[in-house]
Amino acid sequence: MSVAQIAQGAVPAGARRAAKRDWTFVVALAVLAVVVIVAVAGPWLAPYDPYELYVGPVNSAPSAAHLFGADDLGRDILSRVLVGAGASVFAPVVVVLLSTLLGVGLALAAAWFGGWVSGGIARLVDVIFAIPGLVIAVLAVTLFGKGLVAPVVALAIAYVPVVGRLTRTAASRELGKPYIAALRVQGVSSLAICFRHLVPAMIPIVAAQMAVGFGYAMLDLAAISFLGLGQQPPAPDWGSMISSGQASILAGAPEQSIFPAILVVVTVLAVGIVGARVTVWAEEKER
Amino acid sequence: MNTLTRMLLGRLGGLLLTLLLASIVIYSAVLLTGDPIAALAGGAKPTPELIAEIRAEYHLDDPVWQRYWEWLTGAIQGDFGRSFVYKTAVTTLVAPRFAITLQLVLLTVVLILVFGVGSGILAATRGRAVDRAVATATSLGMALPTFVVAILLIWIFAKSLGWFPVYGEGDGVWDRLWHLVLPAISLAVLFIAYISRVTRSALVAQLHSEHVDTAKVRGIPRRRVFGAHVFRNASPQILAIAGTTIAGLFAASAIAEVAFGLGGIGSLLVQAAARADLPVVQIVSLLLVTIFVVLNAAADLVSALIDPTSVEGGALA
Amino acid sequence: MNAPVLEIEGLDVFAAGADGPRQLVFGSTLSVGRGEAVGLVGESGSGKTLTVRAVAGLLPDGFTTSGTIRIDGRDLGAMSGRELRDVRARRLGMVFQTPRAHLNPLRTIGDFMTEALVHVADVKPDAAAKRAMDLLDEVGITDPARRMLQHPAELSGGLLQRVMIAATLAMDPDLLLADEITTALDVTTQEEVMAVIADLRAHRELSLLFITHDLALAGAVCDRVNVMQHGRIVETLRAATMRQDARGDYTRVLMSASLDEAPPIEADAPASHPIMTLANLRKAYQVRGANGRRETLVAVDDVSMELAPGGSLGIVGESGSGKSTTARLLLGLERADGGTITVDGEDWSVPARRGAERRRRAKIAQMVFQDPYQSLDRRQTVRQCLVEAVRVHRPRDAKVAVEARVAELMSQVRLDTSLLDSRPRALSGGQRQRVAIARALAADPVLLVLDEAVSALDVTTQVEILTLLDSIRRETGVALLMITHDLTVIRRLCDQVVVMRQGRIEERGTAAQILDDPSAEYTRLLLDSIPREGWTPRRRRLGRTQSLPTATRSSAMVPDA
Repeated sequence: MSVAQIAQGAVPAGARRAAKRDWTFVVALAVLAVVVIVAVAGPWLAPYDPYELYVGPVNSAPSAAHLFGADDLGRDILSRVLVGAGASVFAPVVVVLLSTLLGVGLALAAAWFGGWVSGGIARLVDVIFAIPGLVIAVLAVTLFGKGLVAPVVALAIAYVPVVGRLTRTAASRELGKPYIAALRVQGVSSLAICFRHLVPAMIPIVAAQMAVGFGYAMLDLAAISFLGLGQQPPAPDWGSMISSGQASILAGAPEQSIFPAILVVVTVLAVGIVGARVTVWAEEKER
Repeated sequence: MNTLTRMLLGRLGGLLLTLLLASIVIYSAVLLTGDPIAALAGGAKPTPELIAEIRAEYHLDDPVWQRYWEWLTGAIQGDFGRSFVYKTAVTTLVAPRFAITLQLVLLTVVLILVFGVGSGILAATRGRAVDRAVATATSLGMALPTFVVAILLIWIFAKSLGWFPVYGEGDGVWDRLWHLVLPAISLAVLFIAYISRVTRSALVAQLHSEHVDTAKVRGIPRRRVFGAHVFRNASPQILAIAGTTIAGLFAASAIAEVAFGLGGIGSLLVQAAARADLPVVQIVSLLLVTIFVVLNAAADLVSALIDPTSVEGGALA
Repeated sequence: MNAPVLEIEGLDVFAAGADGPRQLVFGSTLSVGRGEAVGLVGESGSGKTLTVRAVAGLLPDGFTTSGTIRIDGRDLGAMSGRELRDVRARRLGMVFQTPRAHLNPLRTIGDFMTEALVHVADVKPDAAAKRAMDLLDEVGITDPARRMLQHPAELSGGLLQRVMIAATLAMDPDLLLADEITTALDVTTQEEVMAVIADLRAHRELSLLFITHDLALAGAVCDRVNVMQHGRIVETLRAATMRQDARGDYTRVLMSASLDEAPPIEADAPASHPIMTLANLRKAYQVRGANGRRETLVAVDDVSMELAPGGSLGIVGESGSGKSTTARLLLGLERADGGTITVDGEDWSVPARRGAERRRRAKIAQMVFQDPYQSLDRRQTVRQCLVEAVRVHRPRDAKVAVEARVAELMSQVRLDTSLLDSRPRALSGGQRQRVAIARALAADPVLLVLDEAVSALDVTTQVEILTLLDSIRRETGVALLMITHDLTVIRRLCDQVVVMRQGRIEERGTAAQILDDPSAEYTRLLLDSIPREGWTPRRRRLGRTQSLPTATRSSAMVPDA
């Protein structure tokens, strides 16, 4: 037995044991569950109307009446954070779904048709890759106006090269394996090879990529809102709240920026931990 | 013509083609809106005079390909067109701002390379405890985007402690550096974490590779094994990813520039987008894309130079 | 004779496991005297590699050991890290199975050769370079000055293995640890590398610990042989008399597997219509040559052969001979550039495009691949795999009928139906290959192509699978086309043999003719290269390089000088 084989054999057992006692993973899952609940039920959980001005003292610290304090216009920060969760969480979900749909679709089209279709898709993907995501988003906002729609579509397009290349590489690696040749020799139809063998093999890889992509999409969209190009005031969104709270920081009241910032960081951190676990799972499936 | 020259020419051709196609995308995206005049006029209500002016300036009565060609050749010669919002030539807007962005990016690159690669090396070589500590720190770092770090730094170091200026660029070398420290840190944190992870995994892959076993069994001193085999072989991979990251910083710096009120091309781009000032957005986008593509190609080239086997046929040696 | 160079006493090796350490080596005890060559023979998982890695200090992270290892009488366990490194650097040399993976791809051969001299022995670089060239010359590498400037990717596997050996000699070690050093090489290259080792041992006082799965090879090159099984050394024999002295059942099984000299299978009377006819087959590939230019590599060149219904034909050749390409052309996995393929009276020269045509051909010819783990979908259970194979040809059969057919296939390959719900990962190598054979038989083919179908298996498993294939042929009347590099496999299975080299057929005939009375020089060379009792490796390099240049030419390999 080669040492590499021994080392490989040892890994899954170790990983299973790690999963059992890995409390960070459990906590991360719990955090994500809470975030999803808040994103869905935020408007009903909010103690105040997030748009109503001067419900509390301007730039006030947390108190019993206002757990997260009140912002520069006297609005309740907790209510704004809860209501803003929807846009902050679901917009990146849309980005990931759209980019996966487009990326996997293009990769499959390239693999299926080959020839000039494949060449053209590769060139298109190169060009998209040459334009940084933020630039695509800014261009989209300039042309189609501020708000969430243009940045979401723009980021979905910006992520296509990564998803597409990953899918394409994984698919051609899988198609090059001897078991695919064995299936061909058996006379199994191309369609059956694709859906019974290739697609199940790709699922863990694509899932891991989606988890990782969600974290990036969340950060990028929050950044675009922070720049004032995304969700428009007075509608709340974590990124724009952080930005509009900047003046209050200098006035000695950091709450307006800090609370949404903490939520962004905690959510992305939780997604990162879960994403890493999904990636490990995908790699184990590979063996 | 040897393999390297041929590879270089091939890459150069691909690079120019990509840039050309990207410029077409940037220029023609306006057609997607269906109403280029409204887009070009920016937020302003298009009065008949303004429409006439736009039509004249942009030769809107000419075919689109001719307009594109004049725009592109003008941009290559340094004529970036006119902004209708600023009522001035775009060149005069871009030139002074570019220096600030460049300085911010350079400072950030130093931070990323020193702390990112440094902590990656520590994680890979200094045992389990250090590895875990760095892994925890990088997990957190990967969740700390520029705008969050920026407001934390402003709150702690600029407002509460008062050690650093909050806004502006400063005058003179040291004052400029002073003003750029916090923006550079805010821009660097996430990428430090990322490069640290990339460095660690590239090094660990080499540490477990069979040729390193050979070096160990031959009794080669540890320093030499690390320098000549582990780090040496991991470096093309680290460099390729660091290259892409650094190339992306010119665009990402917009966030730090806006947060700290720096007048760089990033903040110019964002302001232009907010005012729907299309000529400025187009030119700055083209500039950022060019920088991104050229730096990526440069990183590829340097990777290829330090990895002779990556050139097909191995004839570089 | 003074103290042995290497003594291993009661060595246990443990892997870190989920529920505490898992023991993999149990009380290994052996010694290597000064100038002595000792073999350590076992199949995969026997613990032989772990034993030698424990000596070299190369166990994976988390592995622990107990017991004593002494080099020149000094206990390794009592040494500091620095002393250990020094002893290993100066006393030991180690050569591995895969030289390409064990050389840094980014460094030149010259860097590799001089590294230990410069950085351990503090020799001046130019003196080290001179010594390196002498050593390369000593292991029979021509034009050492040019080789010093090349990268590993530019050298063939056999050449790299000699570089590895030469580099270990730089420090004048007392003991050479050789871990399966010829397993990845062609049989003729193996003979050359072993001849180099034998020469070195004759000229230097070099002891050898030789790890291999090949008992015959160990017996031919060693003074004593230790046989290892399931982590234990089960027997230690004098090589010269091991055939007579062997007591253990396991050793006898190993011997009968590797030293097989059963008479070749007699050919049946040739049938009137061959089931398969290849005529003037040709296939060329565009490859990138050593200097980056495009070159044409003719993989299969004017190859013709026939196979009788129910017969068994072997195609033998070394790497690059075109034997596997021939099989892939036959089954439509590649398209021939020229020539005709006729199977069961139909023209198969062009690969089937449409699904119906592919299914029809699949009903006639099937294939078993080299590595069963790779050729089975790791996500499918045995049952799913076999049901899928049966369903291709009987899409409308009732579930019961399919299940019955699956059970029948399982019994045909002598597998218990309790394994039906296992995945490939849970099966042994032999079981996996049986599943692959059952899958191929699902179509009830008249022709079964076996592409190196036993090469990835242990010797004892090889024998089982070959016996199984032979009885399946007798029971079902399926014709076998066996692609192999191993002439002993031919002896067990084939009645007709074709010998290929560099895409061309060197010789053809009945198994008896080829194996016992070959006429081609190359066939004789192949036969002479097989280790057996009383065999000594010979260095035929000079005469051979002109007549028989190494055939493989791809971006990774360049012909030997």
